Formats: sequence, structure tokens, C-alpha cells
Amino acid sequence: MAKEFEPRIVGFLCNWCSYAGADLAGTSKLKVPSSLTPIRVMCSSRVDPVLVTTAFLRGADGVLVAGCHPGDCHYDDGNYYTRRRFAVLKKVVEGLGLESDRLRLSWVSASEGQRFAEVVNEFNEKIKKIGPNPLNVKTSL
Amino acid sequence: MNEKGSYSDVLVIGAGIAGIEASLLLSNSDRKVHLIEKTSYTGGTVIKFEEVFSNMECSTCMVAPRQQELLQDKNINLLTLAEVEDVKGSSGNFTVKVHKKARYVDMQNCIGCDACFEPCPVSLKNEFEEGLSERKAIYVPCAGALPNVPMIDTEHCIRFKGKDCKACQEACMFEAIDFNQKDEQIELKVGAIIAATGFDAFDSKKVPKYGYGKIDDVYTAFEFERLYASNGPTEGNITLKDGKAPKSAAIIHCVGRDQKGYCSSVCCMYSLKFNHYLKSKIPEIKISEFYTDLCIPGKSHQKFYEKMKETGVNLVRVKELEVEKQGNGMAVKYNNGNKKDSIQVDMVILASSIEPRDDTSKIAKVLGISLDEYGFLKEEHPDVSSVTTSKPGVFIAGCVQGPKNIQNSVSQANAAVGKVLSLSK
Amino acid sequence: MERKIGVYVCECGPNIAEKVDIDKVLNAVSSLEGVAVAEKYKLLCSVDGKKFLEDEIKKHGLTHLVVSACSPKQHEQTFMEVCENAGINPYLFQLANIREQCAWITEDKDEATEKAIRLTKAAIRRVRYHSSLEKKEIECNPDVLVIGGGVAGIEASLQLASSDRKIYLVEKNSSLGGLITNFEKTFPNMKPTSDIIKQKIQDIAENENIKVFTDAEVEEVIGFFGNFEVKIKKKTEENNVVEFDVGAVVLATGSASFDPKKTPGYGYGKFDDVFTALEFEKMNSSGKISLKNGKAPKSVAIIHCVGREEKGYCSEICCMYSLKFACYLKDKIPGVKVSHFYSDLCIPGKSCQKFYEKTTEKNVDFIRATDVEVIKQGDKINIKYKAENNSKNSHPVDMVILSPAIEPTSDTSRLAEITSISQSDGGFFAEEHEKLGPVSTSTDGVYIVGCAQGPKNISETIVQSEAAAGKILSSLVPGRKIEPEVKTSQISESFCIGCKTCISVCPYGAITFDETKKISVVNEVICRGCGSCTAACPSGAATLKHFTFNQLYQEIVEAVQ
Repeated sequence: MAKEFEPRIVGFLCNWCSYAGADLAGTSKLKVPSSLTPIRVMCSSRVDPVLVTTAFLRGADGVLVAGCHPGDCHYDDGNYYTRRRFAVLKKVVEGLGLESDRLRLSWVSASEGQRFAEVVNEFNEKIKKIGPNPLNVKTSL
Repeated sequence: MNEKGSYSDVLVIGAGIAGIEASLLLSNSDRKVHLIEKTSYTGGTVIKFEEVFSNMECSTCMVAPRQQELLQDKNINLLTLAEVEDVKGSSGNFTVKVHKKARYVDMQNCIGCDACFEPCPVSLKNEFEEGLSERKAIYVPCAGALPNVPMIDTEHCIRFKGKDCKACQEACMFEAIDFNQKDEQIELKVGAIIAATGFDAFDSKKVPKYGYGKIDDVYTAFEFERLYASNGPTEGNITLKDGKAPKSAAIIHCVGRDQKGYCSSVCCMYSLKFNHYLKSKIPEIKISEFYTDLCIPGKSHQKFYEKMKETGVNLVRVKELEVEKQGNGMAVKYNNGNKKDSIQVDMVILASSIEPRDDTSKIAKVLGISLDEYGFLKEEHPDVSSVTTSKPGVFIAGCVQGPKNIQNSVSQANAAVGKVLSLSK
Repeated sequence: MERKIGVYVCECGPNIAEKVDIDKVLNAVSSLEGVAVAEKYKLLCSVDGKKFLEDEIKKHGLTHLVVSACSPKQHEQTFMEVCENAGINPYLFQLANIREQCAWITEDKDEATEKAIRLTKAAIRRVRYHSSLEKKEIECNPDVLVIGGGVAGIEASLQLASSDRKIYLVEKNSSLGGLITNFEKTFPNMKPTSDIIKQKIQDIAENENIKVFTDAEVEEVIGFFGNFEVKIKKKTEENNVVEFDVGAVVLATGSASFDPKKTPGYGYGKFDDVFTALEFEKMNSSGKISLKNGKAPKSVAIIHCVGREEKGYCSEICCMYSLKFACYLKDKIPGVKVSHFYSDLCIPGKSCQKFYEKTTEKNVDFIRATDVEVIKQGDKINIKYKAENNSKNSHPVDMVILSPAIEPTSDTSRLAEITSISQSDGGFFAEEHEKLGPVSTSTDGVYIVGCAQGPKNISETIVQSEAAAGKILSSLVPGRKIEPEVKTSQISESFCIGCKTCISVCPYGAITFDETKKISVVNEVICRGCGSCTAACPSGAATLKHFTFNQLYQEIVEAVQ
């Protein structure tokens, strides 16, 4: 019998807000799917198309980019660039032949442990429905 | 001691936003800081808010990095559950006696796992959550409190009342719970003192016509902040006592203004913020704000007011107002000078005045400075610097000096540090 | 040199040990490339734990350290110090969070173990690509440029000046003191303004550490925190440019007044005896309040909020100084009738309401009004307005005083450009953070105080000057070097195509363009390490130290296994 599809989700979390929110989800002992592997960046604006593309090419079933709420960015306006870049990133994902829903952008503040758990749970379910990533290319750009 | 025979260490009383900012700025200039905090946590009042005006920034996100920095700063000696009992000496040479209550939890061993809470048999109302939820006798005030180490409330812990209970200690795998800890008397030698002990909210029970304490679903501003807080008793869900979401709300400004005799300067802005809170969770809710004068000075505040107006809030200027129970909700009966009218609402929120804390007079006495006519700590020259007191070497910052918003509290904290650093010139 | 990675998994008591099969994790990683040793320990952040790590590093001659334990937000600093103490560069370290984001988010031990293995492997992969990073230290100049010689600039200068810190105070007018020298008294205590300002101006003159330039303007400020080169120009002298170096700049340029000619309904400039607040202050200071015809007014209207609608904010001080005007009038012309026309009374703070109550006792009317218009009927001035009860009324007076909004001075834009800071609401200088950074700006070393930052009263202005002084005294210490951010971005000369995209996204102005080489250059002293430039760079020339593509890629590789 085929094993149930357990997604592999890469989560880019910004150091100041969303990573702290993810920590709080843990401190509050909330249930968060282990399918998400957190990768800490200083600001969500660090996440460029190459990183996202690479993640998908290497077989990530989903990619979550999380940052501070607009207006709260520790570096002033980094998350505004993330927001703008996201539209382009969606197109890039589609260009790889993947469903653009595999990429998600979320604003999670340091006090939103509950919200982080909800976002990841929801995203995990969605990826389960979409199914595994057909690509798995050992390459780097 | 430096060459002039004075101590360079600084005493900061109060680890709210003003105390935190002052401590970090002092540490930045390599001064050793003794930060004395009465409660078991840092962050004071600001961490009770989910968002702050005027850009609705997440309050805990704003303060948490500062608190983390504070906890890891080698120059800052944070003493929680501590109070200043006595100050002798003069500028450059103060001898301070601090009484530090025992936490009964070892701060080095405790890793903040919360395993000790569950087995505790005692449950009581959580003061941090304005009584809207419960805590145990061993507790942290809220999720995310820093330092993330619980304390034992000996007033309510049954062990300290004579019973043989070790439930928390048995649950702890880190040997962090130590019933043998004792209160300490600590003596510090400092060169300067900054008092930043914050404020209290006017007790709305003193104005019975608003129904607080009598009618269900009349909330104080602080209670409402906790209802909206994502780490609060309802995880941010705004619900009435019966668990349902309100369909209409009234926010009443200037509660206590007549009694106190001054405008607290922040209430109009946070009342507008409450409008944002309500609309963001319950978009269909009908909101009325009852005020006498709209006090929104500053380059960024009116913009926020305009934005809130666009959400459809009903702003009503009134001369008289009272709240009565009506059906399942309340009637806000008001008189605007032209006519009398009444609005039916499910929820009433009272924006109450800022007043001095109960312990402000004790602090004034201990520091040897005076209180002004309202009970706030008094600045030496009201027309000039608001952070210097009549006693050289003793400075004040934040709402302990008078009602003000966060920006002005932080400015005063920085100014007090400026004064301290230029003392040794 | 051979890489020797030490991997240590913390049990964190039951917190990790009971949720994760640590031995399984150790087995999974101990034979990975470069791993010299893989051990577990009860509590690594304890005193014993830290000693254990230090000893281990020395014993095995480790070159890199990986710890799998709690969140880096908890103990990254702790273990970086352990590395330093043991002789490893603190950046050759990676902390894998197998507690908050692994052990604590699931009850399934297998799940948690598998994730812990993933995270630890990711950390090991990543740390292989870490580079040693060194703390930077730069010399700084402790001197300060203060632009504006009003009460804000004077206060800042006096707070800062000392034998090892020179202050250069530049004032565009010919004397110091600014706006408040026009006021006879200040609210709410109605004490003479000279009490506040006269002695301070004297103190400045006598302070040998403060160099004052009047009739002078700042032309150029180039450089960065600790190292600014300043050029000022003396207006009254031909070709008189003065240059000096400072470490910080304080903008204390004050405010201007909204021009009531822009709101013709108030009759300013059309009718005699309609005065602005400043004109009235000057008249009052001269000792005699009189109409154009030389007679004393019998009735005066003070109109609040002039220009408020146009400017879009409340200027905070006008209600209070309007009350002060009522006091001036009552003192000098005992029987005079004073009426205030206002929309909302703005008297915040502990000192204001009492002043309002005392003043209104003196037979001063406060009339809440909308649609206020000043018209002339014959030779009489009449105030037409709509009262609270919506009735249309008129109120004849002899004199009208307009309380106009505060706005930024005309040179605000020019100075913002010169100092590389922005303007925000109302056109005032933008503070770094509305709450936590009211006097600093996004440019390190440039501070804004007083009404240049936004409308405020004298007491608040002085607090801000003292606050800026606090910031400067704390961070710009004579003899002490400045330690800027270590994990900065850098731009490869060979890959940079000169598109300047990075420059446009940097919030701190940390990137400049080298016109000769036609490439962008990062100033590592100003850079705060956000990575916006790195992501925006189309040619991959920009990299962010400690968060390079390669390093993050290694984490991705393990994340998708």
C-alpha cells in the first residue's frame, strides 16, 4: 500500500517576526506539521527567485515565505519588496510547470504563534491536495 | 568608582518601555545598569497591547527584540520582583537598598518549558489578563513573557500557606524549583538614578454612570486590549461574556477626566485604534465613539483619524452620557447639547484616564523628590527640562512624570540618559 | 586546512530527550563528511555545558561547531561566545533549532526525530560553507554639527559640548534664539521667555567648545556616522566656505507658520487688524497691543486651527498659545473681551487643563464653531460662524488673531537631501521609528529634534534635544571605535553590471555608485544586513555575508529530502 504523501515544505522565515512567531508556536506547544523545514533569513526581502526556483527544482513540494506585517519590517521596507517580488515569483513557479499555489506568502508577527500554526497547517493540507512535486533535479543555478 | 570618586553605575527603576530604552542606551555607552522591576516580567504596559497607533504596528514585535537584547546584555543587571527601599547619598554617590523577593525558580536552570503549571492545584484570576482568564500559583503572566521563567505567588501557593505540596517541583526536570530561596536585601552603589515606573489606569468603577462592574460587557481599555491580543485569554477573538461576537460597540472617551482634571493625551488615539481592532475582527460591526474634544495632535495622527472615519465609525460629540442595561445589551444615553438620544449597543469600552501608580508616592519619598499636584513625579523646571528633578542625579522618564504616548516616553528615557552621561563631564 | 566539525545535540532535559530519539540523530550524522565528533549533552547552555563544549573544541581541534538545541533567538549568542573563548571564529558555528520548531510542535516521536535529523544535517551542510567574519572597528570623530540655533539647537549644543567634543552650531539668521525670542511669555506657567533662553544664549557664547556660525547655511554633508565632512557657507561674506569634520549631525531647524493668505476667508492681508499668531506675539512683546489706528482693541477674536484642514494634522500647541494670548490681552487691556473660535480643544498633558480653566475664568469665551469666516461690515470686523446648535451667528470684534498650523521650514527638503534622510507626514523630517526612534533617522548619525521632526511645545522640544544628546553621548564616544554590523552585503566588482537596482532598494543609503568603475559599492559601516540588495541584484553580484546563496542552498537540499 502506498505510503501517504508527506509533503516537503521549505519555509523562509524572517528573523525578527515570523521566525519568532514560529518559535512562539513551539513555546505554546501548538501542533505544527513537521513537513515544514524552517530556513532563517534576516529579512523576507532576502528571498530571491533563484532560491525559490532552486527549492522547487530540488523537489520541494511547497515554499512558504513569511515576513513581518507591512509597516513592521525591521529594516523599514524590506517586506514591501517581498510583496512585490511575490507576484513575479508566482510566475516563475508556473514557468517551471508547477501550480502557483505551491508558493505562499504570509505575514506572521512575533506574537502570532497561533497564526503561524494555522498558516502552516493550512498550507500543508493544500500541498497534500496538490500532490508531490514531479521535479527533482540535482542542480544549482 | 571613577577618578572623581563617583560611581558610574546607574540605577533604573521600572522595566517598561522607558526603563528598557534607558537601560539599553546606557549599556551602549558601557555603563553598568541595575534595572529594578517590581513584577516578574519586562515590558510594562506596552506589551499588553496587540498593536500601537498610528501605524498599527505589532506591539510585541516592536518590544520583543529590545527585551531580548536586554536579557542578553552583559552590562544590564536585571532584578525582577525587586523594589527600591532606600536611597542615601547624593549625585555620583548613591547607596541604594533593594528588596528582592524570591521567585522560587532558579533563573539559570529554568528553560521555560512550562511543565510546572499543569500539576499546580491552585487556580486564580490572572491580573495581567485583567482577570479575564486564570493562572496557577506558579505562573508566567502571558505567553511570550520575558524573562520566560515562572514565579511562585506565595500569597496563593498552598505550600506557602502550610500545606505539603510539591507538585511543581516534581514536574520540573531541571531542578529549577527551589522552595528554599529567600528574599534578598541587595545594596547597590550607583552614580545616578532614573525612575521610570509608569502609570495606572483610572478605576472606572469610580464613575458608576458608565456601568463598569455593574453591567456585563462594559470593558475597560486594558480589558479590551487583552481580548484583542493574539496571546490573550481569547487568542484575539473579540467576544462578549456569552461567547458571541458583538454586533455593535460604543467607545467612551474621557472616562475619569473630570475627576483627574487633565487630558491624558493618548485616549482619543487609542480609542480610534480600538475602532480598527473591532473592524478587523468583526467587519460588519457598528461602532460609535462618544467624545467631548478630539485630541489628536501630531503630524501622523489626524491621518489615522481620517482613515478610521472612512470605516464608517459614528463619532458623536457629547456633553453628558450614561450607560444603562437594556435588553440583552446596553443603551448609551447621551446629550449633545442640542438633543437627547440613545444608542443600543452590545459592548461598551471605556477609555480611562492615566493616573499615577499607587507606589509613586513611596518612590518619591525614597528618592527624596516631590510629587506634583496630581501625584506624578515632579520635574524641577516644568518650562524647561521635564526629566530633571529637584535632586541632582535623580531623573524621571515616561508616564511616571505625566500622561504621554510611547514616543514621548522613549524621548524622555533617552533624554534622561543624556543627562546621566553628561553628569560626568 | 582540514575541516573538523563538532556536532552536539542538547537533551534540554526532557524537552528534547523525550521528544526526539537523540541517539538516532547522532547515528545519522556522525559519519557525514567533515564531522569529527557527534555527541549529546544534558544541557549545553548551562555553565557546565558551555565548559564541556569549550573543552571538546580544544580536545578535538574542531574548526566548526554545530549545536542542535533550542532557537537561535535564545542561545546563538551564547554558543558564539563559547566558540570565541575556545579559539574558533564565532561565525563558523550553526545552531539547529530542534526544540521550538521541532520537538515542541509534535507529539509523534518518529516525526520529531526525522525532522531533527533533517535540521541537524542542514546545519552541518551549511556550516561547511561558513566563512570567518571579523568584527570591524572604525575611528570616529566625536564632534557634532548642530543645524539651527533656536531653543532645540541651543539645548543640544549645551548638552553635548565638552573638552573632548566640539560643537559647530550653524544658524541661518544673524542671532541665536529662534522663534521663541519673539514670545514675551511661555505657557502654561506664563513665565518670561527670557528665563528660558537668555541665559542659555549667554552660556553658548561663553562655551569655548561651541563654535557658532550665524548668517550661515550648511551646503554639504558627506560621509557616514563617525566620519562626516561638512561644508558651510557664510551668507554675508563673499566666498566664505568653512569646512570641518564631525561624527554626528543634529537637525534642529524648527518650524514655519502656515500662510493664512492661503485661506482668504479669514481676511488676512485683506483687512487691517487681522494678525497671525507670530505678528501678535511681536506686538505683545513690544509692550503695546493696539489696532492699526493706535487704539486698544475692546474685543478680540482668536481663531484656532487656521490651515488645519489644508495641512491635515493638528499642530498641538495652538490651543495653548491661544489661551496664552487671552492672558496677554487680559493683562494689558483689563476690560477687553476675548472670544476663541475653535473646533476641538487640544490641551493634552498634566499641565494644560488647569491653565485652560484658569484662563477661561477671566471672562474669556470659548465658542465651538464651524464655517468660520472673517468679513468686514463697514469699518467693523465681523466673525461669521455656525455654532454647535447649527445656528448661523455673527460676532463683531475689533481685532482678529489667527492661530495657524505649524509647518516645516522652507529649507527642509534641501537639508533632507544633504543629509540623506527622508521627509514624512506633513513634510517634516522622518524619524527612524515612530515609537522607538523618535530622534534618530534611517541615516546613522543624523538626528532630528524639535519642531523639525513635528509640531510640539517647548518642553517636548527640549526633551528631544536632550534625547539626541543622549544618543550621541552614548554612541559617539571620544577614543572609542565604532563596531558596525558584521553580516553585511558585498558587491563583486566583476559581476556588477552597474544597473543601480541595489541602490534603489537599500533603505539605509548604504550603497553608492563608483562613477569611474561604473559599479555599485557597499559601505559596510552603514549596511545593516537585510539582504534586499542581494535579492534584487539581477547579476548575482551582491551577496549577503552569512546568508549567501550557497549557505541557504545547503539548507534547502536537506529540507527537501
